[in-house]
Amino acid sequence: MDGARGGVDRVFAALGDAGRRSLVEAVAARGTATATELAAELPVTRQAVAKQLSALADAGLLRATRAGRETRYEVTPAPLEEAVEWMVSVGAAWDERLAALRRSLVVYGKSRDTLQPPPRFRT
Amino acid sequence: MEVEREIVVPEAPEEVWEALTEPERLEEWFATEVELDARPGGEGVFRWGDGDERRAVVREVEEAERLVLDWDDGGSVVLELEPMVEGTRVHVVESSPEFAPALELNALSLQAAAPAWTALAAA
Repeated sequence: MDGARGGVDRVFAALGDAGRRSLVEAVAARGTATATELAAELPVTRQAVAKQLSALADAGLLRATRAGRETRYEVTPAPLEEAVEWMVSVGAAWDERLAALRRSLVVYGKSRDTLQPPPRFRT
Repeated sequence: MEVEREIVVPEAPEEVWEALTEPERLEEWFATEVELDARPGGEGVFRWGDGDERRAVVREVEEAERLVLDWDDGGSVVLELEPMVEGTRVHVVESSPEFAPALELNALSLQAAAPAWTALAAA
């Protein structure tokens, strides 16, 4: 248990930056990804993504594999696995909850509107 | 470690606040069964259909602005509402349980190789 915690600690420290966390999250969600693929979906340049991916790989958080002219990255298994699992599952839970919150607000707003008297009854 | 999410809904902060703090409204989007005393020090019990149950204590309440819950496993969730022209920004940060501070070698090497990169988080 201590060993697992130590591993997670190291990962948490390394992922102290929100931008890097979302990058690891994005790689984890895809399974594997290249800088070009990620940059296409993110509001940053390919170079900026490539630099961060390379740094994350140097730190042992991602594994890099050459694929032709590109480098393909995947999330390193344990100890990162535990942390990434937490991040991905909690992130997915919030995506679902916030979508449900949005729907609930719409439904609640409509039901309240129908409780108000129709215009013809107003004085 | 944190997971951060944000949505903008057309409703006013006061309306969204009800959905965040009233148990019967929380049951529409957050959990299947909810008990919550939305006052500082108040307790919350959240149950899901799969049998999962989480308990929380309310750490902070600022009406229509901010709600902070501490989970009994050491994690926490911060829900913030911000009024906008188009409605309300709902911002959520869930933090994993606390781990002892760790400045491991690879975290340091990562910070040295690629300093804070918050472009993604800001976007």
